[in-house]
Amino acid sequence: MRIDPARLSASEQLRRSTRQRRARKLLGHAIIYAVMIALACVFMLPIFWMASTSLKLPRELMAWPPEWIPSNPQWGNYAEAFGKYPLARYMLNSAILVIANIVGALLSVPVIAYGFARFDFPFKNVLFILMLSMMMVPGHIKLIPLYVLYLRLGLIDTYWPLILPSYFGSPFFIFLMTQFMRTIPRELDDAARIDGAGPWGILYRIIIPLCRPALTVVVVFTFLWTWNDFLEPIIFLRDYDSFPISVGLAFFQGRYSIEWHLFMGATLVSIIPILVVYFFAQRHLIGGLAAIGIKG
Amino acid sequence: MKLLNGTRILVLVSLLLMLMLSIGSAGAQDTVTLTWWTTSGRDSPEPAIRNVIAAFEAEHPHIKVDVSIMAEGAYNDLMSTAIAAGEGVPDLAWYWSNNWLPQALDITDRLDNDPDISRDIFHTEYFNNWVVWNDMVIALPYDIGANFVMYNKDVFDDEGVPYPTADWTPEDYIEIAKALRNEDKRRWGGDRPRGPFRALWRNMGATNPYSDDSTTVEGYINGPESVAAYTWLWDLVDSGATPTPADLEVLGTEGTGPVDLFIAGRLGMATLNPGSMVSTLEAGVNFGVVPEPRVPGNENWVHGWALRAGIWKNSEHPDEAWEFLKFWNGPPGQRILMEQGLGHFPPIPSLLAEYEHADTEWYQGFLTVLDATQTASWRKDHPCWRGAVIRGVRDAWDLIMLGEIERDEVQATLDAMVEPGQAALDECVPRLGG
Repeated sequence: MRIDPARLSASEQLRRSTRQRRARKLLGHAIIYAVMIALACVFMLPIFWMASTSLKLPRELMAWPPEWIPSNPQWGNYAEAFGKYPLARYMLNSAILVIANIVGALLSVPVIAYGFARFDFPFKNVLFILMLSMMMVPGHIKLIPLYVLYLRLGLIDTYWPLILPSYFGSPFFIFLMTQFMRTIPRELDDAARIDGAGPWGILYRIIIPLCRPALTVVVVFTFLWTWNDFLEPIIFLRDYDSFPISVGLAFFQGRYSIEWHLFMGATLVSIIPILVVYFFAQRHLIGGLAAIGIKG
Repeated sequence: MKLLNGTRILVLVSLLLMLMLSIGSAGAQDTVTLTWWTTSGRDSPEPAIRNVIAAFEAEHPHIKVDVSIMAEGAYNDLMSTAIAAGEGVPDLAWYWSNNWLPQALDITDRLDNDPDISRDIFHTEYFNNWVVWNDMVIALPYDIGANFVMYNKDVFDDEGVPYPTADWTPEDYIEIAKALRNEDKRRWGGDRPRGPFRALWRNMGATNPYSDDSTTVEGYINGPESVAAYTWLWDLVDSGATPTPADLEVLGTEGTGPVDLFIAGRLGMATLNPGSMVSTLEAGVNFGVVPEPRVPGNENWVHGWALRAGIWKNSEHPDEAWEFLKFWNGPPGQRILMEQGLGHFPPIPSLLAEYEHADTEWYQGFLTVLDATQTASWRKDHPCWRGAVIRGVRDAWDLIMLGEIERDEVQATLDAMVEPGQAALDECVPRLGG
């Protein structure tokens, strides 16, 4: 059987072309990955420096040339940091506050947003704008009235001032959720209604399952904001053992100096929960934010 | 009869019960709980604070102290919020900010009439400058501090430079800094003053930015002594032996001076504070302490301070609060804090002599510094310096720090500060006084 030289050439050309396309694609991917790895390294540098500092002696902190990997790592710095202040207790306190706030946000935000997204009632728009305007009020302005309020209610030095607000809905989350719910077709509500579902049934069986991306945003942001909150705990809490980790870390700053090596070790441990949560939630989080951005 | 007896028994039992209850409630009323806010950190460990309270409660079983121990960075926000709210302020607190002083109880009479404590036990200048306000004693001092020059002996030995002595001059400082500078080791000889007021005081001692009667700026802010002081600063900046403001911003430790650079041996000399001595000691660095340099023949001035604890003017238990205050700030409490928190320096000279490292050369240097005249002694009577006139000087300071003027422009730059300085003084004196 003879092979037509012209066809051979065409097939060879096709193969070559395919190979070239693959090579170009591979090269493109390699460049993209290289850039992304380089960027990831740049973004990881502060965390790496933090880890490096946490293993140094005080006299090595500012030494020249800087040692990225300490030749004599001081693992005992971690034990010293956790022995000096009740940091494990503070992390537990933070976890309690995070869980309580997430529960509060999940209970309140979807219900309020559902009201704004699906029902008509007198002054709905006015109330929505009023609610939105609360986002414009800086938290610091509310601090003194809130302090007086909680003081008179006898709630100072309890976790209630740090938890209660989330059970009444955060304006930012309500706005976010309302916008997301408005993108869900009303036909789904009608179908459920025909099947006998009431307003609560529609919310819990139809709307909330479809709001998972937005709910992920609520959960992750509530986690981050509560874990990192510094100002409110220092105003409302008094007991040394009740502080969250954000306040606990501040003990490493003394009147005249900062124990950088211990501070960095404690901070590194304190950000692990944030990294873990972000690692597992990032797909939903990015998807959720993108969906809200496109549809909202 | 039986009924009568029964009634009598009932009445007797009731009376007995009432008596017991009244005794019980009287006992409960007698126990007073004080609220006390303070801070903890490297300089005052939490166990030491609790040990002072335990010792006090053992001596005063009818008084309980409910202490809130906060982080240094958290305290100001909390105290300012409580004072602004006008309620929820503790019976006893750390009155660091001058803005809080009107909220403190006048304890002059209590102090002067209490046989257990006397103002004489405290370091006179620190007492007068830091807890006397509007002729009232509004707090008691605890934990004093001052700025001084720490020098790294290993760096000096490395470069073969003799250690500085207490009688050194500003010119000595520049020469030593230049000798210690080592580019290969990225080492600077010494740091530079971090505020305009220090250059004036450090170099000229008795030089004031304006006349003592607070009327005239001309001839003071731009007088020969001020020009000499700022020219010295220009020379120091020009020497290259000192970190730039940008270096200090990046490598210094905010608010506490470049102690970490000093400990790392990258700064031969640094103007630091008592807490830095402890950090340096713990880091195993061989160091010495000398006063800031001054022009020969001038008085030795120091920037010193004392923390102060006071009683809230609306406290419901001022008597019990006074008992605690004098225990905390007096020898019993201060001794515990000093012995259990190495970074605590009591304002009581007799106690300072008992410090764990009292026999060291550096500690003796520190004690010498404490005896110098405080800049606060002048500033206290001239509140417009810091609040208003300093802003005028700041411009000249920044221009020199950034190397934006030539040496022969110092006089003209200070001359340009006269008009805004005078305007600031004229505006300020009616408001804050001379």
